[in-house]
Amino acid sequence: MEIFLSIRFDGSAVSEFFFNGVILRGVRTTLEVTILAMLLGAVLGIILAVMRVSHSRPMAGFSGFYVWFMRGTPVLIQLLVVHNGIPQMVGSRDFTLFLTPFRSALITFSLNEAAYMAEIVRAGIQAIEPGQMDAAKSLGMTNLQAMRRVILPQALRVVIPPAGNEFIAMLKNTSIAFAAGLVELTNAARLIYAANLKVMELLVVASIWYLIMTTAFSVLQAEMEARLTIVERERAIPLTTRVLRALGGGRER
Amino acid sequence: MGNSSSFMVDVQDVHKRFGSLEVLRGVSLQVTKGEVLVLIGPSGSGKSTLLRCVNHLEKIDAGHIYIDGQLLGYREVNGRLIEEPEARVARVRATIGIVFQRFNLFPHLTALGNVIEAPIHVRGLPRQRAIEEGIRVLEKVGLADKMNVYPSQLSGGQQQRVAIARVLAMQPKLMLFDEPTSALDPELVGEVLEVMRELAGEGMTMVVVSHEMGFAREVADRMALMDGGQILEEGPPLQFFEAAQHERTRTFLSKIL
Repeated sequence: MEIFLSIRFDGSAVSEFFFNGVILRGVRTTLEVTILAMLLGAVLGIILAVMRVSHSRPMAGFSGFYVWFMRGTPVLIQLLVVHNGIPQMVGSRDFTLFLTPFRSALITFSLNEAAYMAEIVRAGIQAIEPGQMDAAKSLGMTNLQAMRRVILPQALRVVIPPAGNEFIAMLKNTSIAFAAGLVELTNAARLIYAANLKVMELLVVASIWYLIMTTAFSVLQAEMEARLTIVERERAIPLTTRVLRALGGGRER
Repeated sequence: MGNSSSFMVDVQDVHKRFGSLEVLRGVSLQVTKGEVLVLIGPSGSGKSTLLRCVNHLEKIDAGHIYIDGQLLGYREVNGRLIEEPEARVARVRATIGIVFQRFNLFPHLTALGNVIEAPIHVRGLPRQRAIEEGIRVLEKVGLADKMNVYPSQLSGGQQQRVAIARVLAMQPKLMLFDEPTSALDPELVGEVLEVMRELAGEGMTMVVVSHEMGFAREVADRMALMDGGQILEEGPPLQFFEAAQHERTRTFLSKIL
């Protein structure tokens, strides 16, 4: 009973540190890594997906291997390999210095995300009826033209929900980048509470910031999904309904 | 056995296998320019496959197909047949139009968008001209007022007419129809057949796979019956309907008439 009468939690510390400079820089770093890694990962993922469905065996094979490997090993190990393991093997001081925590994190998360995006885009491509490819080719398009003009535009609409979920997952996964020394949001909180011992308070601050970012993004995703859906009925679905649906969907990785 | 440039389509002894199943067993067929050929036969007889081989959506295993005098899909070099590169085949396909049973319209584009897509990206037309021609071709099939509508908002008959317009925008010299009305509700069939009738009247070379015997009787110049991967009988519609020579023809026709 006594434990609950005296919970040591300094609510004022939460508001004190909420807009702290180190915390805000951490938020910014988290967003930077996430957005850049998602963009690079998406581009690479689309290429890998097109390779995976191509008739060229080496291309499909390589793509399949890449996806299997990158999804089968923990991101943390991949990060440590990039930041510590490879420099050890290369043995060059310049190389080691080139791989700053930010760059290591960006490279790792891009390469890792590409594997997940490849599977998502591949599923999107294969969800398109074969008749679409037939029609495109019959009109005189080459395979590549058909992909670009007909298949991918349709596949990408299917891909937005799972891709959006990937983005939200990555926002949170960037927290492991502290293992490479990156001062993203979680690490920023740790640095502060290592000094002032207000562990719970700082973790609450970080959590609130994560919630703000993930929720904002979920709203954005819901808007995008609504815009890209071809309107079959005249009535538009209200924004709150879309957001709630979007928040309800999505899986943790 | 050379090519013959008076024929628009010259299919010579074509074989096609899917795995262990031989779907086309030595099919030979000629279609002259401006002719309308209606191909009938039971399901699984190879009619659709034959059509798909004619525009090289499927590769044949043996035989030759000539489109307007040109060997399709291959080049003859020193007596050997070498596969044509994909870009070349694509160019030939652009001159052959095919209308599918399930329309295959691009759902992410409007009717006009569907129609101008290939003229812009395959024929290289500037966008404005493609739009003008697109509107004209939609007028021809009676759907100019639906040009900004998406396929999902159109009826089956309207979608198929847009599909025909999409093909016409490429100014093909040959049109293939793979059971164009089979997926339509009965009351929508007429509008599509009407467009096809007009095209035939304008001298388009057409190969039509269909069960619409009324259309065949009125519009076809020749008919052919396919069964088990072979052509069993060929001739003018009158022969088919009044004096069919092959027993299978009579049996088949008696079942659907």
